[in-house]
Amino acid sequence: MARIAFAVTSLAIGLGATWIGARGAGPLPPLSAVLSPAVGLWVNAMDDLPQEAIDRIPALGGQVDVRYDRRSVPHIFATNELDAIRALGYVVARDRLFQIELQARAGEGTLTELVGNVALPADQETRRLGMPRSAERTLASLDSTGETMQFLRAYADGINAYRTSLSPARYPVEYKLLNKAPRAWLPVHSLHLFNRMGYTLAHAPVELDLLRARALVGDSAARAIFDTDSPVQEPIQPAPRNMPREALTALPAPGAPDAAAAKLVTALGNGTRALFGWSREPGATSDERTALAQERAFASNNWAVSPSRSASGKALLAGDPHLELTLPSIWYEVHMVVPGAFDVGGVTIPGLPGVVIGYTRALAWSFTNTGADVMDFWRETVDDAKHPTRYQLDGEDIAFADTRVETYRGPRGDVIAVDTVYYTHRGPMQRVGTEWLSMRWTVLEAGTELMGFRAALHAQTATAFLDTIAAYYQAPAQNMIVGDTSGTIAIRSTGRFPIRADSGRGTEIREGNTRRNDWIGFRSVDRYPQSVNPAQGYLASANQEPIDPQYDPLYLGVDGHYEIWRALQINRLLRADSSMTADKMRRFHTNPGSVRADLLVPAFLHAAEARRARGDGTPSLEAAETLLSQWDRRYTRDNTASRLFETALSSTTALLYDELTPAGAQQRVATPSESRLLQLIADSGNGWWDDQRTPNAREDRDRVLSTALATAYDSLVTQYGDPAKTPWVWGTVSPARPTHLLKLEGFAAPPTPIDGGRGTLNPSVASRRANFGASWRMVVEFGTEPVIRATYPGGQSGNPASPRYLDRLPMWASGALDSVRTPRTLADLPASDVRAALTLTR
Amino acid sequence: MPSGAVFIVALLVQVAAQAFGGVWGAAIGGVVIGLAVRGKGAFRVGFFAAIVAAALLLGATAMRGVPVWHWAGLIATNFTLPAWAIVVMTLLLPALQSGGIAGGVGGLIARASPKR
Repeated sequence: MARIAFAVTSLAIGLGATWIGARGAGPLPPLSAVLSPAVGLWVNAMDDLPQEAIDRIPALGGQVDVRYDRRSVPHIFATNELDAIRALGYVVARDRLFQIELQARAGEGTLTELVGNVALPADQETRRLGMPRSAERTLASLDSTGETMQFLRAYADGINAYRTSLSPARYPVEYKLLNKAPRAWLPVHSLHLFNRMGYTLAHAPVELDLLRARALVGDSAARAIFDTDSPVQEPIQPAPRNMPREALTALPAPGAPDAAAAKLVTALGNGTRALFGWSREPGATSDERTALAQERAFASNNWAVSPSRSASGKALLAGDPHLELTLPSIWYEVHMVVPGAFDVGGVTIPGLPGVVIGYTRALAWSFTNTGADVMDFWRETVDDAKHPTRYQLDGEDIAFADTRVETYRGPRGDVIAVDTVYYTHRGPMQRVGTEWLSMRWTVLEAGTELMGFRAALHAQTATAFLDTIAAYYQAPAQNMIVGDTSGTIAIRSTGRFPIRADSGRGTEIREGNTRRNDWIGFRSVDRYPQSVNPAQGYLASANQEPIDPQYDPLYLGVDGHYEIWRALQINRLLRADSSMTADKMRRFHTNPGSVRADLLVPAFLHAAEARRARGDGTPSLEAAETLLSQWDRRYTRDNTASRLFETALSSTTALLYDELTPAGAQQRVATPSESRLLQLIADSGNGWWDDQRTPNAREDRDRVLSTALATAYDSLVTQYGDPAKTPWVWGTVSPARPTHLLKLEGFAAPPTPIDGGRGTLNPSVASRRANFGASWRMVVEFGTEPVIRATYPGGQSGNPASPRYLDRLPMWASGALDSVRTPRTLADLPASDVRAALTLTR
Repeated sequence: MPSGAVFIVALLVQVAAQAFGGVWGAAIGGVVIGLAVRGKGAFRVGFFAAIVAAALLLGATAMRGVPVWHWAGLIATNFTLPAWAIVVMTLLLPALQSGGIAGGVGGLIARASPKR
């Protein structure tokens, strides 16, 4: 009996361990698939780039040779364009297979199928915004034998050739942890991914911020801070002056609530996540608010210098898009040569069949985000408040353009939620509180961009490049800067910019029952903000307002969409030096100087001094004042005062905009852009400074700023200790830290000290959660052909066990750049510079 | 009690089963060991053969350049565990699979064939 009992117990242990090993249990992944030395994660640690490899892509027209240089950049040599794109798909999948699926699913709204319920809110937002429908409609509209479709198919061929060559033991780490297999890549997946980029860069509804502010402080005060142009103008399209233009007009003080706005806010209730995004939800957690702060920090720099202002007499160009710093990186570096067709290099977004930022033999280009308002909302009148079938338009009941039932599935195919999304002639419509709101968004109407990039590769001049792109490119709008080997520099904010009826502004939710409130057209290309070889000898964009409204008042966006600090800094640096070099431009990328600190620190110091002079100082205020006054206002990694400045600014915002926090709530409904501070600091008695929570006192500027400074000091002492004993070293308390796409702590980069902070050319969110910044840096000098230096934070491989996963991070953190190889032929890349070879055949 | 030779054979079975049997390898090896080593001792043979086989395979990955401890540390961090826990689990999981199944199969068969 004992033997039977032992045998049964033993068998139960064995079968239980086997079940957990093969199938997992609860939150545990299948442990054998993770831990087995033969098929688990240990295999991934051996599976790096082999020195020699041969594989097949059945659709190839001819052999393709790929050489990986010492920087792990694949140089693809093909005999026709489609073969090059097939090879591009293959090499991207080889290094980034999980990333491309994850990002495409993010744009498709099917993340739950990969990671489960945790992704349901994100998927619901994606689908309610109409993103998957848009991609499917774009695909359906393509000529099945046309060039775009051929490119999308060729790219899918390459990805799938690699995918099907893998045994489960060689699946990327993340698939093993999730107990999933890579799915087949379809042409529509590239379109989902492109939509996802549109979401990242052009999903910026301002309507809700303005509406909620009107409901609290009245129409006049709310519009002054949310619905006007930037108070400092240093535009992308150069204005005819040699300095910024300040318009620090007095802002109206908070007034009585706007009753109509309050009524609509009440009607919308807490359901605004559906269309406005989860981060604007009134009940968002502090973590979600932090994410919103980071979202707002998405930014970028690019600039170019004419031969007349460069030391070598050659044109120069630099670019550094600022995005979330993920591992693997959002970018993948590649170079493709097809004799007689194209020779292009730079960075691609894994999942998109082309180079997004890069160079040819004749020119180089980079982008920053335009931040234009390309998303509007309408309040619809429907026939049934719960299950509508029609909506009113110009006195008639109109059938919906489309009704989609969206089904969300879990990792095992089980249905976890179902949604219905209605579409008016404008776009997706969702119930928000007791209202039905529809939306129109240029991102949903795009789809020809890929062909624009392809066509532009044949351009030989900067202006031809911009003109070619403009013929195709719709969204997300980008400030495209280009330089060429003839010395021309040019910039154009390219994308479809809606023209509205009436006020022309896109800041309010409009009535949807009349077509008179629809968009009435788009700016023509000649009305895009732009410049070619300007008299000032340089061009610069850093997400500032693209054109000074003094010179073109047509609505493009509002101050909240823009940032002025980096534009002021880069213009300051470029104006000051008429003998520019590529190396100086490299150093600009990590320049720690801050116009923001230069303009705002004196206000804090003045406030502290005034408070002391009144005999109202405290030891904390004096210590904070001393620390701040000793700061050189540069965000070097070893400075000890910028943390205090950042925290003092946050405290100031909390005290200053108390009127924007509804009674009984913990958080503001919205926060004006930082540049508004300049207007308020110039107006010490403005009603915004007064704290409504202290009815018996009237606070002014100096009172608020000094209180914020002392409060910040005290909170930092609590958090980090006495600065005299444990200095608040910037690089330690606010490091950069690229995080893994699945937020897996073990696969994140180590905290990395950098020079730079919010508002500097090398931005950082300035918190322990910092994970955005310069996602790619490139400096180009145009001789007979472009000479490129570049790097990005991370590495080419998406495999956390690979030595190529993080190998570029130290160089990026130091501000150095690597020489980019541009071989014309296989023979041009010396054997000593070849890390691996790959031959692709039919 | 099983002899040293039996253990060597069981070890070879486990190495082959774990190397080529995917996530089921150790369990399949356990079945084979249980059938071969009927009765008392099957659990121990299956358990230790699997643990040594896993150690040999892990050693082979190390010889191919895998920084075992470092990689174990990265994996472990994702589960808020120390690196040694990943290494121990790597060895222990196939041992439990193999030992448990070998002990169960061996024990049940031993009752059916008591003369052996």
